[in-house]
Amino acid sequence: MTSRVAAFAVAAGVVAAMPLAAQRGQRGQQPPASPRAIAPRDFTGYWMSIVTEDWRWRMVTPAKGDYDSVPLNADGRRTADTWDPKRDEAAGDQCRSYGAPAIMRVPGRIHITWENDTTLRIDTEAGTQTRLLRFGSNTGRIGVGSVADRGPTGVGPVSAADNASWQGRSVAQWELSGRGGGMFGGSPPKPSGALKVVTTNLKAGYLRKNGVPYSANAMLTEYFNVLGPEDNGDIWLVVTTIVQDPQYLNGRFFTSSHFKKLPDGAAWHPDACRAS
Amino acid sequence: MSLTRTSLLFALAAALTIPLVAQQSPAPSASPVQGPPQQSQSLVEYDDEVQRAAPNGVDFTGEWAPRFHEDEPERVPGPELGDYLGIPINEAARMRAMTWEASIQTLPEWQCRPHSADYIWRGPSPLRVWKEVDPVSRQVTAWHAEWLRSVDRSIYMDGRPHPSPNAPHTWAGFSTGKWEGDVLTIRTTHLKEGYVRRNGLPRSDAATLTEHWMLRGDVLTVAAIVNDPVYLTEPFIRTTDYELDLHQWVPPYPCQVVEEVDRPRGVVPHSLPGTNNAVTDFANRCGLPVEATRGGAETMYPDFRAKIGAITSKCIAAQR
Repeated sequence: MTSRVAAFAVAAGVVAAMPLAAQRGQRGQQPPASPRAIAPRDFTGYWMSIVTEDWRWRMVTPAKGDYDSVPLNADGRRTADTWDPKRDEAAGDQCRSYGAPAIMRVPGRIHITWENDTTLRIDTEAGTQTRLLRFGSNTGRIGVGSVADRGPTGVGPVSAADNASWQGRSVAQWELSGRGGGMFGGSPPKPSGALKVVTTNLKAGYLRKNGVPYSANAMLTEYFNVLGPEDNGDIWLVVTTIVQDPQYLNGRFFTSSHFKKLPDGAAWHPDACRAS
Repeated sequence: MSLTRTSLLFALAAALTIPLVAQQSPAPSASPVQGPPQQSQSLVEYDDEVQRAAPNGVDFTGEWAPRFHEDEPERVPGPELGDYLGIPINEAARMRAMTWEASIQTLPEWQCRPHSADYIWRGPSPLRVWKEVDPVSRQVTAWHAEWLRSVDRSIYMDGRPHPSPNAPHTWAGFSTGKWEGDVLTIRTTHLKEGYVRRNGLPRSDAATLTEHWMLRGDVLTVAAIVNDPVYLTEPFIRTTDYELDLHQWVPPYPCQVVEEVDRPRGVVPHSLPGTNNAVTDFANRCGLPVEATRGGAETMYPDFRAKIGAITSKCIAAQR
């Protein structure tokens, strides 16, 4: 009798364990979820910038030589002092102040969509620009790989042959909170809710419309956060922008821009680049 | 050891292993906020699971240096008289601002007045954040934020309710926080009357403040949204960046009231409505339309540019 009970207990334990083991095996064979599928927040939709900050540098064209607040070095100031919008217009460079390091600061609406399962797309009214935020090939599984490992393209280092552009090459990844580890108290990594984007391979452009420069060596790091809904229903998109440029900046240049979510694109009105 | 005892031990080991195996293979979640965990039989296990599953955010503790890469002329030297650009004020706020005189700051009652919880983020002060931990439960029960020339703001995390509307109002107000993913969302009430810009634009004691603290790398970004039924027609949002600086310290700032200006007792510096011609100096100097500098919700929307047309400012802020 006793041996029967023991045998039953062994069998029950093994049977109970099988589904979990099998499940684990199946999970290991499944393809990783796409960045789109595991998006922690909905970044898509129409958003409008609310210009409660830096009004005098954003809503009108600043005066030549007005580079207050920007940590420009001497070379940067010299370059800013040579700003000539007519020269830019003639050279076909009227979009110099609409590049990735500046575009989120230009007043207007933006439209965010999924181009595909691994690429977020941002269209802007201002300058009719398009940004493509590509998740790296490994980022289907959150927390795997790093931007530094994969290079800015997400699939390897950028070669000199890659063409620079106003919007550059942007690598995206979902930010994780926590690193895990430790038997107790260590929280396992989980999506923080933020989107991190690193952009390089930029054409030299302007941080502000009045020729405050960034160079082709600039690197842009951004954090996108969706906040709310607030008590009145408002949903906000806050983009923290960090520009590093060893050529023209003394240190990191920080701005954070806020956008209010719109119900639709009824007021969408794209506008061409202007040099002044 | 008999076969029976061996079998029983094996079965027990298998049964104990199952929960551990299940725990080691968490499925990726699409939501940063997970549901409440299953309650187990053990109080200790229950606490640990709650801690692991809860959206318990991040640690903001540290010394934070403000980065004045936005609105530096307003935040460090101070805003110009009559500059209300991009602020959703109503006519009552505009009138109070246009009757304001900077010399009011010399009054004894104003000399040691700290910036309020809503404005201090835009002030020129370094920030220190620390946490208060319950020694028994080890839960964070409150966050504290303190700036130079400011008060110790407490942000309660223990779920306590806000006090009665008739409770005293203070510069810091009464703040409670909750986690939304790893964003700390704070609601503040009970603020004393303050200002949204330190050139006389008022903020009433009926206003409330919502903040979202976001830590990304070594950068703290705070979105501060003020709702004021008395002086604002729409929510007023600003986002501000601080950089971690472990070499910083916030020095003491003892403030002593002195007699700065010899004036008759009871005199409060002010202008009567419509008499302060200096409020248009900023617009004239910068080549901006006076109607734009008067502010209002319309001026914070991108489409306002179509109304004022293509303008090149004449302002060059003093280089510092």
